[in-house]
Amino acid sequence: MLFRILVAGLLLAAAASSPAGALDSKKIYQLNQDRVFQIRVLNRETGKKSSIGSGFIVGDGKQIATNYHVIGQVILEPDVFYISYIGKDGREGELKLLGLDVARDLALLGADNVVGEPIKTSPLPPRGAPIFAMGNPLDLGLSIAVGTNGGILNQTDDSRILFSGSLNPGMSGGPTFNDRGEAIGINVATARNDISFIVPSRFLTELIDLSADDGFESADDLKLEVARQVLAYENNYIEQLLAGEWPELDLRQFSLPGVISPTVRCWDNSAKLGAIARYKRYQIRCANKNHVYLDADNRFVGDLIYEYFWLESEELNSIQFYNLYENLNKDQIDSKLGRDIVSNYNCETWFVQVSGQELKSNLCRREYVEYPGMSDVLFTAALTGHKNKGFFVTLIMSGVEFTSSLPLIRKFLEHTEWRP
Amino acid sequence: MAPLILEIMTRSLHRYLPIENEVTTIGRALDNDIILSDPTVAPHHLKIIRYGDSSVEIVNLTDVNPTRINRYRQTSLVTEQFPVNLEIGRVHAQLLPHDYNVATTRPLAGGDRPGHLFGHISWAVVLVLACLVIGGLEFYLNSYNSIKWSDLFKYVLRETVLTIGAFVLALSILERLLVNRWEIKQLVTSISLMYLFYFFSAGCADLLNYLFTASWPATLFRFGWYLAIVPCAIALYLIHISHLKKSRSIVLAVLIASPIALPSILQSPELKTLLDDFSPTARYQNSLSSKNWHLRESISIESFIGQAQNLEPGEYAD
Repeated sequence: MLFRILVAGLLLAAAASSPAGALDSKKIYQLNQDRVFQIRVLNRETGKKSSIGSGFIVGDGKQIATNYHVIGQVILEPDVFYISYIGKDGREGELKLLGLDVARDLALLGADNVVGEPIKTSPLPPRGAPIFAMGNPLDLGLSIAVGTNGGILNQTDDSRILFSGSLNPGMSGGPTFNDRGEAIGINVATARNDISFIVPSRFLTELIDLSADDGFESADDLKLEVARQVLAYENNYIEQLLAGEWPELDLRQFSLPGVISPTVRCWDNSAKLGAIARYKRYQIRCANKNHVYLDADNRFVGDLIYEYFWLESEELNSIQFYNLYENLNKDQIDSKLGRDIVSNYNCETWFVQVSGQELKSNLCRREYVEYPGMSDVLFTAALTGHKNKGFFVTLIMSGVEFTSSLPLIRKFLEHTEWRP
Repeated sequence: MAPLILEIMTRSLHRYLPIENEVTTIGRALDNDIILSDPTVAPHHLKIIRYGDSSVEIVNLTDVNPTRINRYRQTSLVTEQFPVNLEIGRVHAQLLPHDYNVATTRPLAGGDRPGHLFGHISWAVVLVLACLVIGGLEFYLNSYNSIKWSDLFKYVLRETVLTIGAFVLALSILERLLVNRWEIKQLVTSISLMYLFYFFSAGCADLLNYLFTASWPATLFRFGWYLAIVPCAIALYLIHISHLKKSRSIVLAVLIASPIALPSILQSPELKTLLDDFSPTARYQNSLSSKNWHLRESISIESFIGQAQNLEPGEYAD
């Protein structure tokens, strides 16, 4: 162990003393091959891998950073699974969970003893600078992917760096290096075709500072902590939305909240109608990109989706129009969450006066079984009282505190304006 | 001697044979006085011996499928009590005195009143035409694109003609089996009436849903239709038109209605809610109405948010 630390130190010193100070991928690989591990979630009964990712030594040398989603299964079933690491040289050992940053998808793990020299972290290099992602893709062994820094993405709440390199399953949780061999971030996700994402290392530094040495006492503590963090993140997100100016978006006779945050993107979703259609319909769907990984089975929260729908016709009579309008209003966004994850929705209906118009409004909430205080909120409102004009809006928030969602719905309605 | 009457009970139309001789033999063999061709009847199954006007002896003659007299296997029975029930193989019969009271005459549905719904074929024709118009109207009201006559024709053919036709065919065959008669005119009238009633009452249920901002009117209608209205209509038809006994009509109505009701009820979202207490989708009031008649007051955004604070969390499923 001491020998390895010594070698790594010598290599780092050599790198720092080179005139340009820049390392190539080969050097970075050699420097860090003993400091990047495969992180495995193993079944206590069978001893076999249930999921894998990557991790690297940080902090005091006993700590290993990885992604929260790599070890998410342990949150749900800590009695069934445990976390372990294995190095390129075959070194392995069990790890305990020291800290979580659910919103940024980070986890800090702890070994009983020092496992190696910690990797130094560093701020993000300039946009376009080469960066190197290390990890264990597809359980095929340690490798390094070369790409460039695409900068911080503002549509993901500043928690993601765009990496123009190829991340593959199994590399999650591995370090991303600058050309001095310092970790500037943690591999987290990919959208394929050399579009990948990295969590900036400053969030890891914060996590190391905040984490306890002895980890969590019980499984319930873990779930409470996950819920607490998700709710804190969502409350903060909603506060930002409430504090911000909302640009307008025009949809026929309504002026509506438009792109209410840099994290939101709006798309025209209008269906193509044939020439024989005797009505017109327009649909706009806006959604954020703040997908917060909740636990195993790829469950995410943090969605903010709002969808507008306008329908009009000069040719249909009022009964025909309302038959169509009602059918379209009955379409619901599907949810695949089961009874073991969430409660039933509880819904209530009101007729609400908005900008001189009456909207038949429904508000529904359901709770997460394992995560106290966390709700999914669904709000819908349909225009009434017009013979040949229809409009409805659907607003969905997942993993939020119910009471925090109401001011957002209020602002939403206050920014909904009818233009005669 | 006044004759006794042997009533051979078959589906609906029974046979009545006078027993005038002192000794009457019954069996499948051709040398019997009364010949029953049923294969479960023995060649010489039983004989009936008369003693004057009041007394009779029934004697079993077979070991295979022996005669049951008043439900019990007996070698012979001397009796003065009538009617005497006989099971001759699988043929059911009764021995009756000639002056045995018969049930009162049941008037024909519609009877001699030509204006009665079930009394004349013209009503059946009028009602079928009304159904075709309603079918066409339904198509028209649910058409959001330019209407093609061929589509209208196909819809009316599929949704109205075939629906009514299939029910008339199935129920008329059933009626033929039950009462040995074809009563197509009355069936067409009844099914057309049910079709029209369904159309209007379903529309009313939707209006009530919106009026009360609730889903119970449509739920009540759906369950009421299949569990009460359809069986009751069939029972009334069997009692008043097919002239079956009330108890039998009710049992038959339940049996006939079940294949219609069960698939519809089993597929209904309301029953799914009752059977499975969890739904991943939100069940809320999404009905809309051009009339916009509702009993709930319109409230301000402020009031809405105030009331929304009290929205309880959803219930956890088992």
